[in-house]
Amino acid sequence: MSRPAPTPVYTLRGAGGPLNTLHFSCHGGDTPLLFSGSGKGVIHIWDLNSRRAERIVEGHSGSSVIWVSTLQSTEALISQGRDMQVCLWDLREGRREVVDSVWTDSVGFCQCSLLETSPGNYLLAFAGQQTEEIKIIELPSKTPVCALVPDTKLGMVMCIKLWQPDSGPGPLLLAGYEDGSLLLWDVTQRSKLSQAKAHPEPVMCLTFDTQRLRGISGSSEKRLSSWMLDTQSKLQVTVEMGGVLPFSGLSWKTSGAKEEEAQRGSRGHKSAAGYTVLAGPGAEDRARAVTPESNHPYTH
Amino acid sequence: MLSANRPHCCLTTAVMPSIMAQISDPKIAFAYLRPACVLLTREPSVTNVETLSGQLKEVNDATLQQLQEYVLFPLRFVLKVPGPKKDKLVQAVAEAMSHVLENTCVQSWETLHDLLSELCLCLCSPTDPGKPADTSEELKSAVLRCLDALLHAAYGDIVFKLFEPIMLPGLGAAISLLLALGEKEKSRDIQAAALKCLLALTLQCDCTQEHVVPSSEERYAVGSTMASFLPGITMAVARIITGDLRQGHAVTVRAIKVWSRTVGLVMEDAQLQASEPWKTPSPELGRIAQLVIHRTPDWVKSTAGKLSELLKKIVSCTSAHQHWRVRLEMVELADHLLARCSQSLGECVGPLVEALVGAVNDGEPRVRERCEVALREVSQRNQSCSSHGDVTSQRSRTQTFTDVLSENLHSLATSLPRLMRTSDDQKKLFVLNVFLGYLKVLGPLVSVVLNSAAHLERISKALMQVLELDVMDVCIVEERRHGSTIETSSTSADSCTAHTQRKHFLYFTDEKIFSVLMEICRTLGYYGNIYLLTDHFLDLYRQSSTYRKQAAMVLNEIVRGAAGIGVATENQGLEGEGHGSPATKEDLKAAVVSVMEEYTSLNNWHLITVSEETDRDRQDQQLLSPPNLLSISNSDVSNVKAKSLQVLPSSFGFPSPSTSTSTIHQLNSNIWQLCIQLEGIACFSQALGQDFRPLLMTSLYPVLEKAGEETILVSQAALGSMWEISKACGYLSLKELINENSDYLLNDISLNLQRLSQHPQAPRVLTVMLTHSDCSLLPLVGDIVQDVLVALDLSYDHTAALFCSVLHALMKALVRWFPSSCNRTRPRPKQTSTNQEVLNIRQFLLDYRKQKELAEGIGIEEDDTENLDVPPPTECEDVEDIGGPDVKAELPSHLSITKDVMERCIHLLSNPSLRLRLKVLDVLELCVCVLSEKQNELLPMAHRCWPALLQRLTADDPLAVLRAFRMLCTLGETCGDFLRRRVSKEILPKLSSSLGRQAPISAKAGPVYSHTVAYKLQLAVLQGLGSLCQRLDLGEADLDTVCEACLPYLSCRQPIRLQEACLSVFQHLIQVDPDTFWFTLNELHCPSSYTPPHPDLQPVQLNGMGRPRDEYSDNVLKLLREEYGSVAATVDEPVS
Repeated sequence: MSRPAPTPVYTLRGAGGPLNTLHFSCHGGDTPLLFSGSGKGVIHIWDLNSRRAERIVEGHSGSSVIWVSTLQSTEALISQGRDMQVCLWDLREGRREVVDSVWTDSVGFCQCSLLETSPGNYLLAFAGQQTEEIKIIELPSKTPVCALVPDTKLGMVMCIKLWQPDSGPGPLLLAGYEDGSLLLWDVTQRSKLSQAKAHPEPVMCLTFDTQRLRGISGSSEKRLSSWMLDTQSKLQVTVEMGGVLPFSGLSWKTSGAKEEEAQRGSRGHKSAAGYTVLAGPGAEDRARAVTPESNHPYTH
Repeated sequence: MLSANRPHCCLTTAVMPSIMAQISDPKIAFAYLRPACVLLTREPSVTNVETLSGQLKEVNDATLQQLQEYVLFPLRFVLKVPGPKKDKLVQAVAEAMSHVLENTCVQSWETLHDLLSELCLCLCSPTDPGKPADTSEELKSAVLRCLDALLHAAYGDIVFKLFEPIMLPGLGAAISLLLALGEKEKSRDIQAAALKCLLALTLQCDCTQEHVVPSSEERYAVGSTMASFLPGITMAVARIITGDLRQGHAVTVRAIKVWSRTVGLVMEDAQLQASEPWKTPSPELGRIAQLVIHRTPDWVKSTAGKLSELLKKIVSCTSAHQHWRVRLEMVELADHLLARCSQSLGECVGPLVEALVGAVNDGEPRVRERCEVALREVSQRNQSCSSHGDVTSQRSRTQTFTDVLSENLHSLATSLPRLMRTSDDQKKLFVLNVFLGYLKVLGPLVSVVLNSAAHLERISKALMQVLELDVMDVCIVEERRHGSTIETSSTSADSCTAHTQRKHFLYFTDEKIFSVLMEICRTLGYYGNIYLLTDHFLDLYRQSSTYRKQAAMVLNEIVRGAAGIGVATENQGLEGEGHGSPATKEDLKAAVVSVMEEYTSLNNWHLITVSEETDRDRQDQQLLSPPNLLSISNSDVSNVKAKSLQVLPSSFGFPSPSTSTSTIHQLNSNIWQLCIQLEGIACFSQALGQDFRPLLMTSLYPVLEKAGEETILVSQAALGSMWEISKACGYLSLKELINENSDYLLNDISLNLQRLSQHPQAPRVLTVMLTHSDCSLLPLVGDIVQDVLVALDLSYDHTAALFCSVLHALMKALVRWFPSSCNRTRPRPKQTSTNQEVLNIRQFLLDYRKQKELAEGIGIEEDDTENLDVPPPTECEDVEDIGGPDVKAELPSHLSITKDVMERCIHLLSNPSLRLRLKVLDVLELCVCVLSEKQNELLPMAHRCWPALLQRLTADDPLAVLRAFRMLCTLGETCGDFLRRRVSKEILPKLSSSLGRQAPISAKAGPVYSHTVAYKLQLAVLQGLGSLCQRLDLGEADLDTVCEACLPYLSCRQPIRLQEACLSVFQHLIQVDPDTFWFTLNELHCPSSYTPPHPDLQPVQLNGMGRPRDEYSDNVLKLLREEYGSVAATVDEPVS
């Protein structure tokens, strides 16, 4: 903890409000983009070459945007706001219009999770209306796939991660709950595969490396917890680390030049936005939390 | 005819008959000419020849053609008569024959052959047929003319018989004879005529008459035969060319022509390539066969070698010939030979190209133009060959040509540094022009040449050595300015470029030389491979500090050239063909990025340009500079700058003797390096245009860093660079450039502010930004200002001074962006005229009475009601305020920033460092100006800073007192009566006592006194006191105190500026209370007596009346005159 924070490569200014969520989009066209969702319901699309907001999309009727992502195959943006809507945006050829929207009916802060099952088809997982409920629907048809409700009372769903394992028939879903539990769901079977108590306090965020089957979660008791999936798909908490206060995001830094570049770009930004960034796969001892600081919103 | 009566018409009609009368009937002509011919045959005499020639002129051409043989016979007969003949006779015959030949054609080979030999016989000496006869010049001239006419008259089908092998001896004789005449004759006309005959003999005459155009076979035949005479002709003619310089240009020109045409004929590529089977000479030729030459490749090679020797002599002799026609002819020669024989001439190509290239910058425009055309053709031929180089021979030909050029270039590059050191400017210019010419001729092949490491090395080293800068100029380091004053006045790019300092080079002074050198670099960049070049020169740049500046200069121009900027337009025609096009944008961008990275890297960008000592000197000097006390209240900020810029005697900037000169050179060198690199960034932006915009992310900050540099040369270069960049990127002004890219700049600034120890320039960049921008920057800057303030809060001890300068710049910018009342000049209320006073006396008396009654308690009720009217509205306001404490309007950001800054300044006011305190006082003053628009904010702040300010005013270093007083004046201007009590209680007594104490000292002091701090303090106080009193609306008692303290300064014994300042105090006082001070002044000195208008009134008695003139009289009189109107006029004004 004694090492000073590294110098940010660049600070993107002018978002006009606190930022809740970030998303990189480096595939496709040669301009790497960063999407940011602000507390004022504004999504900024940053051109990472010119380092300027290329486009500004306003939606969710001014409510805080808590999650943004892009669909791999099309030039579409998907965003989740506190207005209980998930919106699908068409950004092609300079457009910025809502094509479709999903009513989540959830008042919590839980971010959605998106999984591409086949080109053009997606599974979207989000917290449902009831306290422990997780709903999964298929996009773009919006057909409900299932609703996952645990048997026991675990409190609100705090964070979820949907992924397709290499072996195995259907997608899996990791969910962190208010009481500090982590649950692994099999989406096709609609059944709970495993459960682990990772934290005594609510799980605030989690990240999962689908290759190494290792994950890290953060909690409001200022501790990070590292866990892994064993061969029987059981969750096992391995290490706990203290002294950090993860607010809303954790992400793995994976190797590969492109990723690294993006990561470098993100670090500065996240630090300004009150993010905690974890760097270095498997090198938890060197993981570093950049002290969150209040950003100074301003407008041009 | 109408025109018949005109004289000139008469003339025409007179001439007409003779033409009309030409005999056109052959029979009549024959009859007419026959007697003369017969007579001439019988009796060859001059008279007879002349008779015949006279008659010949009366026969028309067609008829003459029919009678040609007949007429020529007697004439030729005269020549054939054995025995010596008189010159006159032969001359007459030659002239007559010339007439005939000029107007007819020779159709028979016999005639041609015989006439040729007969005429040659006339020219040669009877004893030695190879030598010219010792005859009169007229004769030779006539015979040559005749010979010329004969060669022109010869029919196409017979003339080629001359070049059959059998004719070799005869032809040889004629040629050697003509050469001898051309070389040895004294008469220039004969020389020229002989040379012209030579041209005609080889069928290459260039006169205006019609000529036989040989077919290619015929040309081959002629060339083949002439090959036998090539050595003779070229050597002899070369002797003529290089011979007597005084022989006149006509002969030389003609000789060059003969040389070039003959060589061009014999060595023609087309002939040599048309590999005609070698015919063994027929046996009947006998010994003549030995003369026949077969132009084998070996022969061609050896001949070319010999020719190149001759050519070098010729070139060296003519390239600097005085007459432009000679130089023009040399260009023609080079062009002619390069066009026809570039392959066969081999070794000669080098000298030929050099001759051509050297004339590129000829003083004579005609030569220059011709040369440019020729060069264009050469390079075009060269490129077209290289572009369709499928034919092996062509490729090899190109190869050789390129080889020659690159060889020349290499050797020139080798000798360039030596030439640049030793020769004069004219010669240097010539050499460089040749160098440039080579590059242009090579065109796209430059990149091929540069691929050779040896060439690149040579050329780059030559450039490095030639471009070495002279860094001895001491005044470069000396020129610096106050860190706080960055020019804002430069609103146009011109004003910046105008200041650009000329570079001084070690090896040349002529600006033209520099521009040629730069063009060389651009041409290299235009044709060369941009990656190769930038890599190579970057290597040089890194390699050694001695090359760094030159390498940067070269790099800058290379990039410009690569973008096609400033490359001579003459080659634009070529761009379509072959390579020609400049480097692609991507390549250029990549190159620019790498070069710029190197330029702005820590080691090359953060160079020391100020020696420590001069820095300290400067700061002290700045503190000691005379205060511009009233400049703030006098309004414009630029005024302050103008003044503070002046004050810098160079002696102060001079480094102390302990600094060795070598360090100065190092500093100079650093300064130049920075300037060149800044220019470079401008060049790069020009090269990339709009594409440079993304690069602003990395480049703008460093440039701004340098724009804030104290060394004037560097900051000017940076400003110039900024202008170029904004032009290139399509911004209309510096302001736009900065505003549009403020996010990039602020990112770096905020980053660097956090690591101030490594990046001490960050505040400077912010300063420059603020200086050149406008209030639209404020929202973004607000963020940074918070950073600055936080950083300041964290470490008051170490960084306060640095941040103070930022705050100062910030406040200055705010003052500029939000001009408030305090900055505007307050129009001085004009003194009401005395007449008006007179008119108002009644009103005055009424008012006076009312006041008196009030004082005695009469009519109080009435007033109370009046007074009661006043409070309600204020109460209402209060109610409103109370009603909505939450909705208290957010302060405009500039005001809140100012408040924040002021808060910090109040803390810093008691900092132990005097320098910092002074700076803080400056900042505070600016804060007060900004806040003055909102009294509600200002007054609490004024209250907060009062104790600290009071300390400065009463118990601090005189310098601080000085500034603090200035600050007080500004505060007084803006806060008005809010300060009245405090000033009268806490300040005035001290000030007036110190003024009073100092008055006798300054009255007695000598001229040196004006340099002391005490003097400056006195002056400052006196200058500010008046307006302060007026603004604060001080009470009578205070005014009296002030008046008392100031009166001594009205003495003419005081230094003149103190007197002036004191006058200003009184002027202000008089405006506050005219009567009192009229009285006071008159008590001191009264120039006139006041007689009451009515005897009932008591006479006025004033103390000053009737006093002799004393030390105060002058100033008192001045005040009375200026402030109260005419003193002389007796005014019956009552005294209050």
